[in-house]
Amino acid sequence: MIRMVLVRLALTIPILLGVSIVAFGLMRMLPGDFAEAAAGTTSVSAEVLATTRAQLGLDRPLWEQYGIWLKGVLTGDLGRSFATKRPVTTELLPRLAVTAELTLMAGLIAMIIGVATGLASARLRGRTDWLVRGWNSLLLAVPNFVVATLIVLVFGLYFPMIGIFNYVPFAKDPIGNIASLLLPALSLGLTVSVTISENTRAAVLEVSSQDYVMVARAKGLLARTILGNYLVRNALTPVITVTGLQLAALLGGSILIETIFTIPGMGQYLFDSVTRRDYPVIQAIVLVSSTIVLLTNVLVDIAYARVDARVSYE
Amino acid sequence: MLEVRDLTAEFIREGEVLRVVQRIGFDIAAGEAVGFVGESGSGKSVTARAVMRLAPEGSSIRWGGRILFKGQDLLALSEREMTDVRGRRIAMVFQDPMASLNPVMTVGQQIDDMLMRHMSLSGAQARKRTVELLGLVGIRDPEHRADDYPHQFSGGMRQRVLIAIAVSCEPDLLIADEPTTALDVTVQAQILRLLMRLRRELGMALMLITHDFGVIAGMVERVYVMNNGEIVESGAIDTLFAAPKHPYTQALLAAVPRIGTRRSA
Amino acid sequence: MSDAPAPKKHHRGQTMVFIGLAMLAVLLLIVVFGPSIAPYSPSKTSPNSLDGPTAMHWLGTDSIGRDLLSRLIVGGRGTLFITFVAVALALAAGLVLGLTSGYMGGKVDLIVMRILDVIFAFPVFLLAIAVVAALGPTVRNLILTIAIVYTPAMARVVRGPVLSVKRWDHVEAARSVGVGEFAIAIRHVLPMVISPILVQTSLILANTIFTVTALSFLGLGPPPPDPNWGSMLAEARQFMELAPLTVIGPAVAIIFASLTFIVLANGLRELLDVGSR
Repeated sequence: MIRMVLVRLALTIPILLGVSIVAFGLMRMLPGDFAEAAAGTTSVSAEVLATTRAQLGLDRPLWEQYGIWLKGVLTGDLGRSFATKRPVTTELLPRLAVTAELTLMAGLIAMIIGVATGLASARLRGRTDWLVRGWNSLLLAVPNFVVATLIVLVFGLYFPMIGIFNYVPFAKDPIGNIASLLLPALSLGLTVSVTISENTRAAVLEVSSQDYVMVARAKGLLARTILGNYLVRNALTPVITVTGLQLAALLGGSILIETIFTIPGMGQYLFDSVTRRDYPVIQAIVLVSSTIVLLTNVLVDIAYARVDARVSYE
Repeated sequence: MLEVRDLTAEFIREGEVLRVVQRIGFDIAAGEAVGFVGESGSGKSVTARAVMRLAPEGSSIRWGGRILFKGQDLLALSEREMTDVRGRRIAMVFQDPMASLNPVMTVGQQIDDMLMRHMSLSGAQARKRTVELLGLVGIRDPEHRADDYPHQFSGGMRQRVLIAIAVSCEPDLLIADEPTTALDVTVQAQILRLLMRLRRELGMALMLITHDFGVIAGMVERVYVMNNGEIVESGAIDTLFAAPKHPYTQALLAAVPRIGTRRSA
Repeated sequence: MSDAPAPKKHHRGQTMVFIGLAMLAVLLLIVVFGPSIAPYSPSKTSPNSLDGPTAMHWLGTDSIGRDLLSRLIVGGRGTLFITFVAVALALAAGLVLGLTSGYMGGKVDLIVMRILDVIFAFPVFLLAIAVVAALGPTVRNLILTIAIVYTPAMARVVRGPVLSVKRWDHVEAARSVGVGEFAIAIRHVLPMVISPILVQTSLILANTIFTVTALSFLGLGPPPPDPNWGSMLAEARQFMELAPLTVIGPAVAIIFASLTFIVLANGLRELLDVGSR
């Protein structure tokens, strides 16, 4: 078990290094001079540019710059924002927390909807199955920012509930905070619920035909016991894996959703930085979110092995 | 105790009806051991499941006729009432022990849940009985083994656990559907001996389904031979062995290697 | 026992593919004939701004009085052009990488797959935003970016079947009679991997529609004045209180386009009997 965790983590390290190279290289791919971008929109003299270069260490060879940056990253220093001149880490962390909350809520909503519809479709079959699959196909075709826009349209115009679109910080009002994130999380989670629903359906169908479910029925157990202990518990393992792997989609989607609902999370931070061409911030966000996705994948693998004793045995 | 009359079973799929059991009738007396022999597809497994009213998951079966169990027609019961019969009055052991246990529950939990369902025992009482049952079917160190998961057991041991599950509520009738087919030859004999012993100790009737006359020899008193969903011959086992009338029975008997004879290589 | 009989599944697949192709025909019509079937010039303004649907303007007008239907048609052309070209590039790159990697195996396979793993680790949309932001939002950069982010998915789909197919008997037979390795790859291995590739391509087309429109929704699409479904939706959102119906047009267009490819993918999957993953 411990060995497996270590091996999985060790395999992740080269990928993380590659990710850091891409994130670093992305900034150097810029047309023109990085120093000009750092100086902002004001036109500056050659001497000022030279000073900026020296300050940012741009006069050193590329690999050295990468080394310095990487060393900073490993000690938690992600550089300074061009726009605010403040450390990126300080600015990013509170926003990351907001995005994490939104993403987790969206994941939870997706899981609830997905498992419920997938289960219904597999157990009830017939018309319900047909209905759920049609709904899923349609939902898959509606991008989350379109869902969000339509939600804003419907709720904003026809059901103008108070404060529904105004983000409330958690520290100020925890319940108001969760309430204000419900609709954004729903628009983010709906698309992901399709994948979960389809996987739940397949898993439940697969488990239903297993002999141990027949044995459970032959034991005279009640339908709800069979559903809970025999069907769902066995079907859930692949479903949890799939949900974990959807994290990348949720993180990417949160950028759009946060912009639409004006939630001060990492997505909006990225969007603002893109408009301002604040490259250190972009670089940091790309690195941080990829790391989160990679580590989640490792966690999912480990959780899978723990939940499903059969896996560790093979 | 069990009287089956005019039993039919029809698979219904896509509007098409396929009849796999054709108006058969048979009886099993209390405490009696009866064998059902036939090749796969002969309808013997469906007949066994009819008594439990268990259709394979995802397919729909229409049962016809009457299955009188202690005078009560099982086919007339509601599904909910039927769950009180299953496991409690009539229990079943299946063919493939490797696939018959829930991999995410401990072996003990899978006996506990049945005891708690039918015998109105508390969790602690159920566990005490579970450990006894595991001991009864010959599992060593049952207190600790009860907390192990199915993958920690061998095929033969799993079949023992499944037998413990089946006899846990001391049913009146135990149906064993090819209980030894998936097991090694040496283990087969042990499992059969276990079934015989439990039948005697608990006074159960036994309905033993198999394709192999070799298995039922010495196990049952009477035999029904099935082919194409019909019972083609029935009678006391000694009579049938000595003078099979139906050509199908003769063919099945010819396939059994006799002790003392040696097949030419 | 539980799976439906093959002919019925086949028939359903056929129907879905047929519907998908009909929808695709509509999209292609827009790409090819865009400006000539639009009732107005997409940039022609008029004094009636933010009108609802009228006989003159079927879908109404935008904030500076431009005809929304015309903008939708011409904008669709831009969106779909980027989508098709980008996916074609990703497909080509994925084919080359996947075939080489799966076919040659060993070190080549290891290196290619590790590099693709790195690209795979980025959330697609995030990477797209970062690249477009760095390179600047032009049509060419959008196409390149999208092609890059979808190449790994394509390469993996090709590689999987190649690995299993290349050990098959007729491939061995061809090799034993001295057919060249390249010819084997093209003539024997490629046909076997076509089905999963077709399905995956349809799915990626649907995803690309999403990425392209989402980027333009954020203002990272092709620069104005060229209309684009994403930017139209973003614009309509600003005036939603005044003209709520202007949101519907671009929203429906985006949904229609992605639905086309999802229907196609599902239909092909059933028709060609490709596993769900």
